[in-house]
Amino acid sequence: MHRSALINPYVLVLPGFLLAAFIILWPLYQLGVISLSEVNRFGQLKGFAGLENYLAVFADPDFLGALWRTFVWTFGIVIGALVVAMPVALILNEDFYGRSVARVIVMLPWAVSLPMTAIIWRWALNGQSGMLNSGLRDLGVLDHNIQWLAQASTAFPMQILIGILVTIPFTTTIYLGGLSSIPTDLYEAARLEGAGRWQMFREITLPLMRPFVNISVVLNVIYVFNSFPIIWATTQGGPANSTDILVTYLYKLAFRYGKLGEASGLSIMMFALLLFFTLLYVVLAVRGDEE
Amino acid sequence: MKRWTTGLAATLALVAVAGIAHAETIRVTVAEYSKKTGPYFNDAAKAFEKDHPDAKVQIEVVPWDNLLQKLTTDISAGANADVSIIGTRWLIDFVSQDIVTPLDPYMTQSFKDRFFPVFFKPAVMDGKTYGLPIAASARAMYYNKALFKKAGIDTPPDTWSELAADAKKISALGDDIAGFGLQGKEIETDVYFDYAFWAYGGELVTKDGKSGLDSKAGYDAANLYKKMIDDGSTQPGVTSYTREDVQNLFKQGKVGMMITAPFLSKQIKAEAPNLDYGVAAIPAGPNGDRGTYGVTDSIVMFKNSEHKKLAWQFMDMLFTKKWRERFTSSEGFLPVNKEVAKMPEFADDADLKQFTNLLPDARFAPVISGWEQIADTTKNALQTIYLGKGEVKPTLDQAAQQINELLKQ
Repeated sequence: MHRSALINPYVLVLPGFLLAAFIILWPLYQLGVISLSEVNRFGQLKGFAGLENYLAVFADPDFLGALWRTFVWTFGIVIGALVVAMPVALILNEDFYGRSVARVIVMLPWAVSLPMTAIIWRWALNGQSGMLNSGLRDLGVLDHNIQWLAQASTAFPMQILIGILVTIPFTTTIYLGGLSSIPTDLYEAARLEGAGRWQMFREITLPLMRPFVNISVVLNVIYVFNSFPIIWATTQGGPANSTDILVTYLYKLAFRYGKLGEASGLSIMMFALLLFFTLLYVVLAVRGDEE
Repeated sequence: MKRWTTGLAATLALVAVAGIAHAETIRVTVAEYSKKTGPYFNDAAKAFEKDHPDAKVQIEVVPWDNLLQKLTTDISAGANADVSIIGTRWLIDFVSQDIVTPLDPYMTQSFKDRFFPVFFKPAVMDGKTYGLPIAASARAMYYNKALFKKAGIDTPPDTWSELAADAKKISALGDDIAGFGLQGKEIETDVYFDYAFWAYGGELVTKDGKSGLDSKAGYDAANLYKKMIDDGSTQPGVTSYTREDVQNLFKQGKVGMMITAPFLSKQIKAEAPNLDYGVAAIPAGPNGDRGTYGVTDSIVMFKNSEHKKLAWQFMDMLFTKKWRERFTSSEGFLPVNKEVAKMPEFADDADLKQFTNLLPDARFAPVISGWEQIADTTKNALQTIYLGKGEVKPTLDQAAQQINELLKQ
């Protein structure tokens, strides 16, 4: 049988590939070129620099600090959001009076732009007039004001908490979708066999939710790793770079210090890192599913 | 008949195209100082277009925080405007990369005579003037007269040791009141330190081109601030306070003294009209040195502009008395035009007078390529000291070493 060349799978994939190339590969190529060049602070190329830009990034002690914090930040928020969103989704999946209102309330933070949320938290965390201090004082938890954003030991955990808070709506949505796809007769059968709620959760819900948990982890890692507004709006990575993550460090490198070559090198490394972890996770997840 | 109308339409279209091509458009990037900035420049553009029927002026208003980023991306893409406002401390990078063009060929003597010469100084490099002082500001000390009276102090401090003593007395009033408002976060944290550093005789960059932080003046000034933090003479948690945060404390009457720019007077007038405050010189050091910081923003013309003559005419208009008066008054800057300074609105303003009196001593940020990174290194060292995470001397020594590396580049 003769097949038209037009339905060759590669031909069919071509338009999508071109679009992706235009949006992803071309900027990536540009970044690569800049990162290997000597660049002035206005992005004009001044010659070939080899790996100098990459070496300069590695030689900067702030880079390693920011790298380590990026891991803490990413895993703190992704795991935190997973742990909180799962019970929230389970509760919202139950039938109760006012459920639709509750669902809307959980989703609402999603509708507010992230920088706005972050700025409001900056006010709330203000040491003198912030809502958090006055709230905790009214409750009798604190007897003096805490300057939340004055040092990394309080600022960074707070930023992670804010991150968890804004990640919950999206994660919950995925889990709710997953929960509604589990057939109810499984639970009925389990109940007839005398299974308890915890047993049903462990033996039925969790295994069947696995693909949904996987996708939420992959997507959240990508979003959170590159999330800029929360840290920038609250501390700009300070004091003394102690709350910088890679993306805020990158911004300073590029637009404050004007080191566009180093910034491009860092961008490429961040892209590679993210790609590596995402692929690793996908491979692990797929292997887990096959078992 | 039909053919005739088609022909007419074609001719009209041609005329229209020619008309567009004929109108010269200049693009002007301006920093948003306040919500009045955009309307001011748009009105100026309209007035200019009225006088120059063939010209179009396109104003792009950009928030300060994004200005350098926007300029960087625009320039790298070759899509920059003809004229832009920039922080004068960035100018050296623009000049050394050949991005901006000298303005001397356009400046007549009568144009120069409109200005106080001191304001030109920061934008002159290699004997050429690259920018005009679109905004000028200086710093002085604000003090809360009511708190001073309550603490039994009659006059504002004249030296830093008096300031430290007064701050302690005011803090002792309790009720979350702090004697000295100390900025410890974000932009100009380094400058807030320089006020004392200069008074103790320090120089940001010494004569042999090295950082001056690791000097006696640096240690003394840092020790002074650290001691004030430790004995509660400043507000708690200084590293979480930006300049705006400290200004807010001052407006609420929670801070006895702070150092900032003329625009705080404007804000107090609008937001806390009952606050009983005064403006005084920044205190002197043990040898009588005073550190007043002068800041100008420059308006520059890009080298790749294709409408330099028209762009200059627009810049010229911005510095006429009428337009300067409105800008200076609405944004709360210091007058740079002699004529404007003579107007009663500015000449009779007691607060403003304090600032203009300080100008002869004013220092400007050093003209050094990559100054932002040096300022950031200084800021990080100061935050480390303020937090108590590092001793004064080793922390400043290390910062000075890093700055020396940057200065070498």
